[in-house]
Parts: sequence; C-alpha cells; structure tokens
Amino acid sequence: MSTKARGGKYDIFTKLALVLVLIIVGFLIVLPLLNILVYSSQPSGSAIVKGSFSDIVTRNIIWNTVKLGLTVAALGTLLGFIMAYTQARVEFRGKKILHIINLVPIISPPFAFATAIIVLFGRSGMITRGIFDWRPTLYGYPGLVLVLTLSFFPIAYMNLLGMLRSLDPALDEAGASLGANKWRIFRTVTLPLLIPGFAGSFLLLFIESIADLANPLIIGGSYTVLASRAYMAINGDYDISLAAGYSLLLLLPALLVFLIQRYWAQKKSVISVTGKPSGRPTVVTSKVARTFLLTVTGLLTGLILLIYATVVLGAFVQIIGVNNEFTLSHFQYLLGGFANGAIKTTTTLALIATPLSGIFGMLIAWLVVRKVRRGSEALDFLGMLGIAVPGTVIGIGYAITYNDPVKIAGVTVFPQVAGGAALIGGSIAIIMVYIIRSSPAGQRSGIAMLQQIDPAIEEASASLGAAGGKTFRLVTLPLISGAFLSGLMYAFAHSMTTLSPIIFLVTPDTSILTQKILAEADQGRYGNVFALCCILIMLIMIIGGLINLLVRRTQVSIDRPMVTGR
Amino acid sequence: MKRSKLIAFGALSALVLSLLSAVAPAQAARDLKGSVCAQEGQVRTISGVTYTCERVSGALQYAQGRKLSGTLNVLCTPQELWCVEMTKAFQAKTGVTTKFIRLSSGEALTRLVASKNNPEFDVWTGGPNDSHISGRIQGVIEAYKSPTRNMLKSQFKDADGFWTGIYMGALGFCSNTNELKRLGVKAPTSWNDLLNAKFKGNFMMAHPGTSGTAYTALWSQVLRLGSEDAAINYMKELNKNVLSYTRSGAGPTGPLGRGEVATGLVFSHDCTAAILRGNPLVVSFPKEGTGFEIGGIALVKGAKNPDAAKAYIDFALSAEAQNIGPAKAESFQILTNPNAKYDRRMINLKKVTLLNYEAEAAGTASVKLKARFDKEVALASSAK
Repeated sequence: MSTKARGGKYDIFTKLALVLVLIIVGFLIVLPLLNILVYSSQPSGSAIVKGSFSDIVTRNIIWNTVKLGLTVAALGTLLGFIMAYTQARVEFRGKKILHIINLVPIISPPFAFATAIIVLFGRSGMITRGIFDWRPTLYGYPGLVLVLTLSFFPIAYMNLLGMLRSLDPALDEAGASLGANKWRIFRTVTLPLLIPGFAGSFLLLFIESIADLANPLIIGGSYTVLASRAYMAINGDYDISLAAGYSLLLLLPALLVFLIQRYWAQKKSVISVTGKPSGRPTVVTSKVARTFLLTVTGLLTGLILLIYATVVLGAFVQIIGVNNEFTLSHFQYLLGGFANGAIKTTTTLALIATPLSGIFGMLIAWLVVRKVRRGSEALDFLGMLGIAVPGTVIGIGYAITYNDPVKIAGVTVFPQVAGGAALIGGSIAIIMVYIIRSSPAGQRSGIAMLQQIDPAIEEASASLGAAGGKTFRLVTLPLISGAFLSGLMYAFAHSMTTLSPIIFLVTPDTSILTQKILAEADQGRYGNVFALCCILIMLIMIIGGLINLLVRRTQVSIDRPMVTGR
Repeated sequence: MKRSKLIAFGALSALVLSLLSAVAPAQAARDLKGSVCAQEGQVRTISGVTYTCERVSGALQYAQGRKLSGTLNVLCTPQELWCVEMTKAFQAKTGVTTKFIRLSSGEALTRLVASKNNPEFDVWTGGPNDSHISGRIQGVIEAYKSPTRNMLKSQFKDADGFWTGIYMGALGFCSNTNELKRLGVKAPTSWNDLLNAKFKGNFMMAHPGTSGTAYTALWSQVLRLGSEDAAINYMKELNKNVLSYTRSGAGPTGPLGRGEVATGLVFSHDCTAAILRGNPLVVSFPKEGTGFEIGGIALVKGAKNPDAAKAYIDFALSAEAQNIGPAKAESFQILTNPNAKYDRRMINLKKVTLLNYEAEAAGTASVKLKARFDKEVALASSAK
C-alpha cells in the first residue's frame, strides 16, 4: 500500500521544501564529502587509497577498524536485544528505573566510560587489582570493545524495544492457537519480525564504532584504526590529502553497510498500517528464561551504575583509587575560569542547533514518506548521510571546505564559516555539524511515525482545500509531535556530547566542553575529566528537561527507533 | 555585620573609589615614553597604552608605547592551566580581550598551516622551539625582536628573531614508585634501562607526530646514537615496551600516577607537577645526557592584531609573567628571564647532563623523521 499522496504535480510548498532541503543537505554534507574525494585524489591520499590492499600497514589499519566494528556491532546488538526483550516481555519490579539507566549511556559524554573503565578494570583497577589482584591490559582491542559496546548498546536497545512494543500481540496469539509453544513462537514469529531491527541496530553500531575517535585516542594503545590514523594524518603528518585518503577508506565501508541495510531491511520490514497495536503482549513465564534474562540485565545495569558512581565519586576526590580524600578542587578549577566559557558556548550552540535539526529532520521525513514519489529513497539517504558518514570524516571535510570561502567560478557562494578567522569565530561550522549529525534521529523517528499514520487523514485535509503547507502544519506536525519531541531531546543531548567532528573545528572563540574533556583526559587529569562529565550530564538533564516541558503538549513515550553518532 | 558598620564601610569604599578615579585621569595625561623605569622587560599599561621597559644606551626607560585594541587570539601549547593564567594576566594588565586555544605542538602547527591564507591566531606561545622552526620553514610565523630579548642568553633566542625562548625543560623518566617496587627494579637512569624486559607493556610516552615532547625524545636519540637509522632502531626496541602512545607530552603522567604503567618519558616538570598533585611518582634522568626543549614564542605571520601580539610576546618574556608559571600554574620549567625567580621545584641543571641539542637541526629534520617513526615504529607494531 502506498503511503504517498496521490495526484499529479507537486504543490508549491512541496517544491519549495524540497529545494530548501537539497540546498541545506548540499552545503551541510555533500560538499564537504566531495572535497574529501578531491583531496584524496592528490598524491599522498591516493597512494593510501590505492595501497589499501597491497600495503600491509594500511591493510592492517583497515582490518583493525572492521574487526572492531563487527565485534561491537554483534555484542551491542545482542546485549541491546536481551535488555529490550526483558523490558518488553518480563514482569519484574523496577522496570522504569531500569529503562532509564539503560538509556543514560546515550547522553554520556565521551571519555566518561573509557576513564571510568580504566579506573575500575585497568591494570591498577580498583576492582581488577583491588579485589582480584589481576592486571588486565585494557589498552587496545579488548578495552575498545568493552567501552564501545557499553556506550553504544542503548541504540540497539531503543531500536528493538520500539519494535517489540509495536509488534501486534495478535501474531503471538495466532501462533499459540495453532499449537506452538512459547519458545517456538519466539523463534518463528518474534525473531523474524525483528530482523529489520537487528539489521538496523547492527548497522548503526557498526558505523558508530568504526567512526569513534575519542576512545581510540585514549585507550587505543597501539591498536590503530582508520579514525585515529586520519586524525594523526592531520595533526601529526600535517597532510590533509593523506587524511582525506584515510577518510575515504573509512567512508566507503560505512556507506556500504548503510546501503545494504536499507535495501535489506526495506524488503523485510513489516509496517503495521493499522496504527498502534492493541492487546497485551505475552509474558515470559519460563523459569530458566526469566533467570537468564534478569541475570544479564541485572549485571549490565549494575555495571552501568558502577561506572557512573565512579564518575561522580572521581569528581569529588583527589585521585580516585590513589588518594581518595574528598575535595572540591576539580570543580573549583573548572568553574574558576577553565571551563566557564566552554560551558556557555557549548550550551548556546547546541540550543541553536536543536530546533533547527528537529524541524529539518521532520521536514525530510514528511517529504520522504508523503510527498516525493520518485527518488524518495535517495532523499532519505541524503538526509541520513549525517549519521552514515563518520564524524571524523565530516570534521576533516568541513576543515577542508569551510576554512576558506566557497567559490564557484570566482564568486563566493558560501562564506568562510570554520576556523578562528571566520564569522562569529567559527561557531557557524559547529552549529552546522550539530544539525547534520542530529537531524537523522528526528528523520528516522518521523518516518517511523508517519508510516504508521494513515495518509487518508492528510488527504482529507487536502480534499477539504488546505494547501500543502497548511496540511503539514495543522495535520502532520501534531501527528508526529511525539517523534519531534524525542528528536529535539536527542538532538540537544547529542550535540552536547559530540566530539569527533568538532575536534577539527574548535577555535579560541568556540571552546567546546567535549574538547576540554579530551584535553584533560589526555593530560591524565582524571579528576577534571570526571568533574567535566558531571557538569555535562547535569546540563543535559536540566536543559533537556526544560525543552521537554516547553515542547510537550501530548503525553508521549520516547521509545521510538533511535539513531546516534558521536 | 551591623547596619552602621555597613554604611561606614560603604562610605569608605566610595571615598577610596573617588580618590582612585581622581588619580586615574592625572595618569592618563602622562605619556611614559622616555621616562625612567625600574626593571628591564617590565610591561606597563597606562590609559590604554602599553609600554615595555627596555635598555636604551645603558639606561632603563620606557620606549614607544603601543595603543592596543581588539581581541588577541593566542595559540597555546603548554598545559591548559598555564595558558589560562598567562592570558588572564595579560588581559588584566592591558585590557585586551585575550582568548586562547590549547593544542599540542603538532596540532598547533597544522592549524597554522591550514589557516595560512586567513590566520586565525596572532601569537603562538610555548612548545619545543623545533616546532617553531618547522613553522618558520613552512612560512607561518614572522620575525619579531622584542627589546626584552637582550636580557636572554643567546641559546634562548633565534638570531633572526623568529622565535624567542620563554622557558626551558629537560626530558626525564617519570616512574611510579609502587610499580617499581612490585617489578623489583630501580628508577631508570640510562636510556638503555628503558629497554629492560621487565618494563614490557610498562612504559608510556607521547607520539612524536602530535607531541613536541616526544619529538624531542626522538631527536635526542639521533644526537646520542649518531644517526637517524640508529635512532629509529632504538625506538623499535623501545616500542616493545610501550603500552600506548599518548597525544600530548604530559599524557603519560595520568596512567603513571594510577600505576597503569611503571615508567614513562615526559618533560621532568610535568612529572613534578603530577607529584605535587599527590601521585606516587619519582623523576630520574639518563646519565648519557637528556634532550631538552626551549619553549618558544612567536608572532604568527599575517596576525590580525600584531600590536597586541607583540605586546604579548614582550609580556611573556618579562620576569613578572614568567613567575606566573611556578606560582599559579603548576609549571616548573626553567625560566629564561634572568630576573625571574628560581623555584626549588625546578630541576637543577648542575645535576643533569644535557645533550648538545640543536633545535635548528631538529626542526629541519622533523617532517621526514616523524613520518619514518610512524611507518617503521608505531604503525609497524600495530600491524603485528
């Protein structure tokens, strides 16, 4: 069944919206990517690209990257599924709290996990050595897998929980009435229906983990991945072409996996066009299954709590695990001038980007689902580029493109927006990155929402004489306000914690909190890292709560399919 | 506080304020040019004009003042806290809004090269001067000879004025005392001690690509062993013991303090600062001689605010500014201004052997040598 409005030509509102979206996408992501292509074709870049299979060093970096991505994607999806299934199908007390705890890592600042994990489980970890006298080496692959899985499993959790809840219980009932036991229903009904969710989660986790730059910089050890190598090419070799070459190598698998998933998931996706499911889902009663699910869930939740306890505690003692004397000196240092500017700038820029990315995401969703007939998949893809393209690549693309005015045949078509000499000290480039990185989340949830709403409602509006814009405003927007709100909350939290693209764009005027955290983590001042993380989490909670209060009109739950990216 | 006291206090402070404001216009009328001053290098601002005390034909006097305005953008390479305190002090002194961003020397140089056509910074302060020399070769800094340079020993300044030294630091070994005890080894006192198999996976340093500290260490091997090949070979051996390369020079101090590794290579003043923060660490030096850095300051080519940048350089060279490091910013480098205070927490150069480190040669060789290190040492190990 088509969810598109029928009829011949596009109305003027649709045309305008389409042109606007294409221009924005063009400058926000397509142009920087084209420049990556251009620069990577220069000698040092093309040598890397050409040598990607013959050169043993490059080949190993690629393999390191892919191996890390696959492991984290598999583990994270599995964990996310177990948590989601427990949440949706097991009766136990404290569900709500568990749900919130499982979501917290999404708004977790970079480095919070990496540093806390070292403190807890490193060679001189409070648990590994303190309790078990064991000195595991976390620097490298094992540490990265641990930290990235813990940071990113909530994406899979959100995705799968949303799907599990929207599965029609009637399907289970049908299975049961045909005589299947619960295990068989789980295997032959539930799991197959969730395949798009698994694929989506796996894809997102894969892209997230190969794109991550913060953790490889801190606990990567000698395990070099493409993102950290591209960073070194810029900051060590001073070679932009080389960086573009590595960026291209990072971009290709990310885009490939993204395309495969879209094509595959599209074919298998089951859309409930009738609206929200009715009836009660079946509950897990088997003792073995219950014990298993609750044990895994309990352990993981406990681990997350332990990590956050370490972050908070670490912010208030001298050197956690070495000198546990209470102190406020970290906060005094940070709020006494070190981080004040960064707190203000980061919050301001994120607040400017939040509504823009929310509206932008919804607009694309609406065009994709309702309006554009030919090429809607291409449009959807363009909108998702911000998340499909690794942050490091975006950052390098921006640095190449926007450190000078963009000129076509000598005429400036776009001013210089990056770097300290740009307008408003380079803050526009940062806002642009925030928008393109967080709008895909809104776009995805908007699309998911719209696909579940019968287009007849909008058609009714149109047949009563409302123009395209009026219908969008009065009918469509209120219908997808839930998705819009979750998009906003997410966009804000995400902007506040973004690091990998930003690291290439900070200027003296735009000092950004995550970059300050990197500086402190790199200098080994964990106390300051933890205190900065606490400040960042507080800001997200307070301002996120305010956004929620301001925008919330209807009671909505935020468990829509989610995407993220750092 | 009682109400009457409060009123009295208010009245008194109003009186003081009005007296002060009465004095200020009187000063404003004064042009300090040519007037005698007490300490060479001293920077002073009166009614928006900044003067530097310099020696003119034997006598100390204020020379031509600079009327400063606008914003100063500083590219700062040492510790963040030092950057905060220095820029704060300059802003308080001159009234020029002073902003900074802290980047390791490799990153700093990259940013300068990237924004060559439209510079985003005015002055680049700190970091081993071989990166400034590399910057001169790449055409991103320009000469400025501060009058205060006259006070400095010749090793602390570039004859052509492209960079001037503001501090000096020596490489040292930084070891965790608990871990040394556990491994049953003494703190290393020779470069070869670092190759001890007991330190396998127990040694940390920064990556020469991003860190000036680590490049100083790499070049020290070239000096000590006589050739780049020998240096690379040494680093390959050392690499077997390396747990992880950090991004900036002081990076290993955190893991060292926690006992993640037993020993590491940093500038000794970074280790000293970590000890003061309560970490169980100890500093030692290689007996064969160690590399050192001269922390340079340079004017950025095409700076948007060259006057303020020059005033900042004058200020950074003054004893007053150099004393900020040990007093307020946990920075215990040796200071280049002979009038700056010696702090007991600084190293005693009489007890440390220095290699005959020439920044000029180090800076010229840096791009190629770093690439070699990356290919033959760091990446080769990740390929294993």
